[in-house]
Amino acid sequence: MRRFRLIGVVALLAAPVAVESPAQVTGRIVGPGATRLEIAVSPLADAGGDVGARFAEVLARNLTLSGFFRVLDPKAYLEGPTPVDVGQIGFANWTVIGAKALVKGTVTPAANGFTIEARIYDVAQLSQIGGERYSGGADQIAHMARRFADKVMEYLTGERGPFDSRIAFASRRGGRAKEIYTMSVDGFDVAQVTNNKTINLVPSWSPDASSILFTSFMDGNASLYRADVAGRGARKLSSVHGLNLGGRWSPDGRTIALSVERGGNSDIFLLNAEGQVLKQLTNGPEIDVSPSWSLDGGQLAFVSARTGSPQVYVMNADGSSPRRVTFQGGYNTSPSWSPKGDLVAYVGREGGFNVYTLNLKTNQVRQITAGQRNNEDPSFSPDGRYLVFSSTRVGRPALFLADISGEHQVQLTKAGGDDTSPAWSPRLP
Amino acid sequence: MKRVCKRSIALGAVVLAFGLVVGCGPKKKPGLETDSSLTTQGGLGSDGSLDRFKAGGAGAEGGPLQDVHFDYDRYDLREQDRSVLQRNAQWLKQNSAAKVEVEGHCDDRGTVEYNLALGAKRAKAVKDYLVSLGIGAERLSTISYGEELPLCREETESCWERNRRAHSVVLQ
Repeated sequence: MRRFRLIGVVALLAAPVAVESPAQVTGRIVGPGATRLEIAVSPLADAGGDVGARFAEVLARNLTLSGFFRVLDPKAYLEGPTPVDVGQIGFANWTVIGAKALVKGTVTPAANGFTIEARIYDVAQLSQIGGERYSGGADQIAHMARRFADKVMEYLTGERGPFDSRIAFASRRGGRAKEIYTMSVDGFDVAQVTNNKTINLVPSWSPDASSILFTSFMDGNASLYRADVAGRGARKLSSVHGLNLGGRWSPDGRTIALSVERGGNSDIFLLNAEGQVLKQLTNGPEIDVSPSWSLDGGQLAFVSARTGSPQVYVMNADGSSPRRVTFQGGYNTSPSWSPKGDLVAYVGREGGFNVYTLNLKTNQVRQITAGQRNNEDPSFSPDGRYLVFSSTRVGRPALFLADISGEHQVQLTKAGGDDTSPAWSPRLP
Repeated sequence: MKRVCKRSIALGAVVLAFGLVVGCGPKKKPGLETDSSLTTQGGLGSDGSLDRFKAGGAGAEGGPLQDVHFDYDRYDLREQDRSVLQRNAQWLKQNSAAKVEVEGHCDDRGTVEYNLALGAKRAKAVKDYLVSLGIGAERLSTISYGEELPLCREETESCWERNRRAHSVVLQ
C-alpha cells in the first residue's frame, strides 16, 4: 500500500523535471534544490493545547531545511486541523492552494505526556502515504517532529532524512571565550557543553551520539577531553605537552584517531577509548593533522604538509599506503569523509576558502561554495546528503547547511557568534 | 601512580620516539601520557597570552624579548627576524636564570586545526634558532595558540602579518 502511494508522490515531483531534462532520471529528480514538492503542514488537532502547533512548526522548519519541500504558508490553509481521516479530508481545500502533499494528525494526552499521530497524504491521489505514532513528554515534541520529518523524507526519496540529529560546534557567542555547544539542526534547541572560559576546540561525536571529544586549553595545555553532551563527566584522555588535537572516534567506537604535537611536529596516532596509544600512524617531519574515518573504519583521510603545502591524503587505518588525493591548489585541509561512501569534503584555498567534495572512486571534484567569502570546516550529515560548514558570507563566522550539489544552501546560525568547527552527529537513538 | 604505570605497559615501541620517561619500575615503558610537570607547564603563572586572555586582557607584543613574524603558511625564519632573535639571545645570556615560553600564533585565514599545528612549527623554529645561538633548550618551552588569540581582527594584510608571530614570554 505504502509503496504504491510513494510512487505516486515521486511521480508528482518528477513530472516537471522530466519535461525539462528527460535524461536525468535519478538523483536530480528528487534532489534538494531541484523542483520542490509543495507541502501543507497543518497544525495537529490537539483539543486546545499548543503541542500540535509546535510539532507543525518544527516539522515545517526541518522539511524546508531539507530542500525537498516548499512548505505552504499556514495562513493560506482553508481547512482546519480536523478532520484527519482520509475519507473525510476535503482534499479540494488543499488542491486549490497548490498543495501536492499534506500533513495532518492528532495529539492526545497520555500517561507521561502525549501521543502524537502524524500522517502524510497525497493530495492528488486522495490517499494516505504513511503515518507514524510517537509518545513522550512535552520536551520530546520537537524530537518527534524531526523524526517525522526524516520519515517524510524516507517516504518521498526512499532514504531516511538526517534531521533528528545535532550539530556540535565551537562558538564565542557567550563572550570572549570559545566554548563547545550543540544544537538541533533546525536551531531550535541550543545547549552549552563546556563552560571553562578558555579556548575549547574541534568537537566530534561518539558513534552513539552520547558523548563529545574536544580539545581544550582549560588547564593551559591543548589536551583532549571527553564529556557527555551536557558537559558532565569531563575526562582528560590525552595530555601530551603540546597539541592533542582533532580526536575522532572510529565508527565502531573502539579507537580514537588524534593528531599529537610534541617538539613542534604533529603526527597522527591511534588511541584506545581510554586515551592510551595503540599505534603511531604517521611519522614525518612535516605537519599531519585532521584525521577523518571512512564509514567502514578501514581508512582515514587526513591533512599532511609533507610536500610543502597542506594537502588531503588517505591512508589505511594502520597507517599503511598513504596516498595524496587533492592536487588542485596549494592549500587543501579539513577533510570530512561521507558516512555514505566515496565522497570526502574538504576546504580549498583559491582566493577565498571554499568547500569542495572529492569522489575518491572517480576523482571528480565538485565545488560546493563559491564567491561568498570564506567557507570552512565541512561535516557530513548522517545520510551523506548534506554538509554543515562555517562561513563568513554574512560577517563573522556562522553555520550554514548545503546539500551536496551545493545548490541548496541555508544559514543555520546568526552571524556575530563566531560559530566554527561544526560536527554533525550520527542519528540520535 | 599505579594508573600511569598500567597505562604505560600497553604503549609499545611508539613511545621511544617521545623521549619521555615515566619512572614506574622495570616493566613500565614511557608513553604519550607525560608527567604532570610538563603538561601543566604551558602558560601557567606567567604573563602568557592565554593568561592575559583569561584575565580579560588583550594579547601582548614585545616585552623584554621581541616578537618575530612569518609569511603566510610558512614557519621558516625571515632574515630580518634572525637579527631580532640574536638580540633576544643576548638578553637571555644576560639573564641566565630566565626561562621562556615561545608562543606560536597564526592569522585567522585557514583551518583551525592546521593553524594550531603551524603555530607549533613557528614556535619550534624560534626555539631551535635560540638553541643554535647557545641558549639551553631546557630554558625554552613552546606552545601554539594557532589562530585562537589574535592581536587584531581586521581583514587587512597588516593585521594578518601582526598575528602571524612567535611571541616569547619570560616565565620567571
